[in-house]
Amino acid sequence: MGNSKYLGLYLLAPAGVFVFLFFLAPVILTAVFGFTNMSTATGISGGSYVASQSSMLALRDRYGLDDISEQLTTVRYTIDEEGLAAALEAGADPATVNELGDTFLGQSYETRRDVERAIKTLNARPSSVRAIKAIAGQFERSVANTRYETEDEILGAIAEFGIELTETESAAIIDVTYTGWVFTTQNFKTMFSLPDTKKTMINTLFYVFTTLILFNVGFALVLAISTHYMDSGPAGFFRSVWLLPRITPPVLYVLMWKWLAWDSGFLSVMLEPLGFEPRNWMLDSPTNAWTFIILINGMVGASMGMLIFSSAIKAIPEALFHASEVDGATRRQQIWHIIMPQLRWPILFITSYQTLSLLTSFEYILLATDGGPGGATEVWALTTYLKALSNYGGALQYGYGAALSLVLVVIGITLSLIYLKVFNFKDLTAKPKIE
Amino acid sequence: MRILLDKFTKKFSDLTVIDEMDLEVRDGEMIALLGGSGCGKSTTLFSICGIHKVNGGRILFGDKDVTNVTSQERNVGVVFQSFALYPHLTVENNIGFPLKLRKESKAEIKRKVDEIAEMVHIEPLLQRRPGELSGGQQQRVALARALIRRPDVLLLDEPLANLDATLRLEMRSEIRRIQQETGITAVLVTHDQVEAMSMCDRIAIMDAGKIIQIAKPRDMYENPVSDYVAGFLGSPPIAFLTGQVQDGNFVEPSTGTKMPLSAEIAASQSGRQVKVGIRPEYFQPDGATKIAGTVSFMESQGRETLYNVTLPDGSILRSIQGVHDPVHIGDRVEWGVDSAEMMVFDMNGLRL
Ligand SMILES: Nc1ncnc2c1ncn2[C@@H]1O[C@H](COP(=O)(O)OP(=O)(O)O)[C@@H](O)[C@H]1O
Ligand SMILES: [Mg+2]
Repeated sequence: MGNSKYLGLYLLAPAGVFVFLFFLAPVILTAVFGFTNMSTATGISGGSYVASQSSMLALRDRYGLDDISEQLTTVRYTIDEEGLAAALEAGADPATVNELGDTFLGQSYETRRDVERAIKTLNARPSSVRAIKAIAGQFERSVANTRYETEDEILGAIAEFGIELTETESAAIIDVTYTGWVFTTQNFKTMFSLPDTKKTMINTLFYVFTTLILFNVGFALVLAISTHYMDSGPAGFFRSVWLLPRITPPVLYVLMWKWLAWDSGFLSVMLEPLGFEPRNWMLDSPTNAWTFIILINGMVGASMGMLIFSSAIKAIPEALFHASEVDGATRRQQIWHIIMPQLRWPILFITSYQTLSLLTSFEYILLATDGGPGGATEVWALTTYLKALSNYGGALQYGYGAALSLVLVVIGITLSLIYLKVFNFKDLTAKPKIE
Repeated sequence: MRILLDKFTKKFSDLTVIDEMDLEVRDGEMIALLGGSGCGKSTTLFSICGIHKVNGGRILFGDKDVTNVTSQERNVGVVFQSFALYPHLTVENNIGFPLKLRKESKAEIKRKVDEIAEMVHIEPLLQRRPGELSGGQQQRVALARALIRRPDVLLLDEPLANLDATLRLEMRSEIRRIQQETGITAVLVTHDQVEAMSMCDRIAIMDAGKIIQIAKPRDMYENPVSDYVAGFLGSPPIAFLTGQVQDGNFVEPSTGTKMPLSAEIAASQSGRQVKVGIRPEYFQPDGATKIAGTVSFMESQGRETLYNVTLPDGSILRSIQGVHDPVHIGDRVEWGVDSAEMMVFDMNGLRL
């Protein structure tokens, strides 16, 4: 008996693994990535240390270490074994190289001219000025733009270069020159400081709630209720028609809308005789773009609500309709007093489910307007996609994208909780409503 | 208010369920539509209240032709077999629902609900929901809801079918009491002859969409127009024997027992095959015309015992008797038929 308590858990264990791998892990990873600065530049594994132009900029801006940045980017000329070898490799006269080594090894110069002058003092000096310049170039030394694998390497190189650093200065340099990703809250600071963020959020809420109220719940209810009062033949036909957008591949479906709206498409052709200039009706203005976006999504989204609501209405005992009829209920009263109370749970379900799916769905927008015109229809999920996975510049900001997704997750959960409260979930689950 | 069905016909696409039915329910009367399952009782009821549109004939309430009046405007109260209470409303709101639809004031609704709740004895339940009520309580609520508008007619579709035996007995008299108190014209649909006989002023017995006979329960019991009616009424049911009429007697073929017939029947049916019906109370040990058979079944009903007596050719007679000396299954008995109470039918089942 004691074992049987755990039997279910054992049986569910394989499913649990999959739930973890495919549901929980992505959410956790998203949350973690959201607090990093991962991007194409940092890569997703560890990095190295480079005193690049941008890191020097950061050294000045963030730490005020202007002089150190100056020194690190300064070029020097040092006659060392490395340089001699490189000169030989480059095809310089070995006699010249040997004499240079014997005479000046270990010498440092501020400018290339100084090195050239030194070479000219040699007995075995090259005859051409170009050859002298070429040899001098081999001794150019700078910490900047060299890739070091570890902290010690870059600090060693700096010390070797003759720059003395305090502890804080070292730390600052390590911080700015590291090319791998680090944990940071910078994503959220950036997000809340960008003016576009607010616009995108407003777009998103407008998109979600307008589509939800007008189509995914509203129109779905209209369809479900009106087909309930039809004969079964026409009702089935109507429901099937509304399922078509759902089962059409999105790319084709949106293409049909685009064709409808193109400047040589159906709308333009139809409206031209009425005095309207042919134009791309979809991208003509933000209002038009939104109208199309909401229609495109709504036509697809209404079908699910319609099916759920229809079956919920079917589950109402027919006697209740008969009873309300003889009690004197008009059709409108019947809808309000008999059907709607029984649809409370399905409406809650569809509202929550569709809110979440609208919040995260952007494929129809991507295909139809790609956020245009001028970012007017850019929603949060689309921004996330563009930032994290599809940037024309090729610089993909995984960390920022994850931070954006995290905001969607938080909004989704918050809205669901609000819905449960509004629809009085406890009351809904407490008692069976149809015996 | 009187209800009149005049050549009322109802079809479902090709299937004619009711064919030219005539029926008059008198003002203040409670009539039972009695018949087997699928004979069209509910269809008739739903047509009277307007849920079904009729395909022919007329329906009159009083002198008013309501054939084409919607159910919303017919002013009928209906109690459905499943009670059909609104699950999301309290008892109070269920009962007040018809008034709310007519936008009566809250105070008025409350007053009327309280009044009717008192009549059907459910005052303490007003704040509950249907799911929290027993079957009998739901039944009372359904009745109250049907009656609150003071409907012209009250229609009850198998109102007791979903109740257990004791509740059924209680609600039988309750429904009758309420009907009589309100004086409302009522139609009770039932397949249970006991219900029909005990609750109603008259019974209309139906078979395959037709009314076979309308009469007061006692009259119908004593004077059924056909073997179908005779077989429907009475529990335990009547038993039938088939035989020939010879010399003024019905001759039971397997035993040769002669049972005297009335003079007219003897004369008109002489030499013909007939069917006689013998009710269990007229086949007793002290009956006049003795017939012998074997006891094949016994069932104690407490105060009385039911016996089946099988004759040599396998036909069965039933007897119901008070408790007396033990008789056992397999015993051979010779009991007597009270042939004056025998009902005689022709071979088509019509009463002679
Ligand atoms: N809505 C309907 N559609 C088609 N046939 C129906 C419908 N309602 C009832 N019937 C048929 O009509 C006949 C009578 O049904 P009904 O009046 O419900 O019988 P009952 O006497 O048991 O109440 C049955 O054969 C039934 O199958
Ligand atoms: Mg029925």
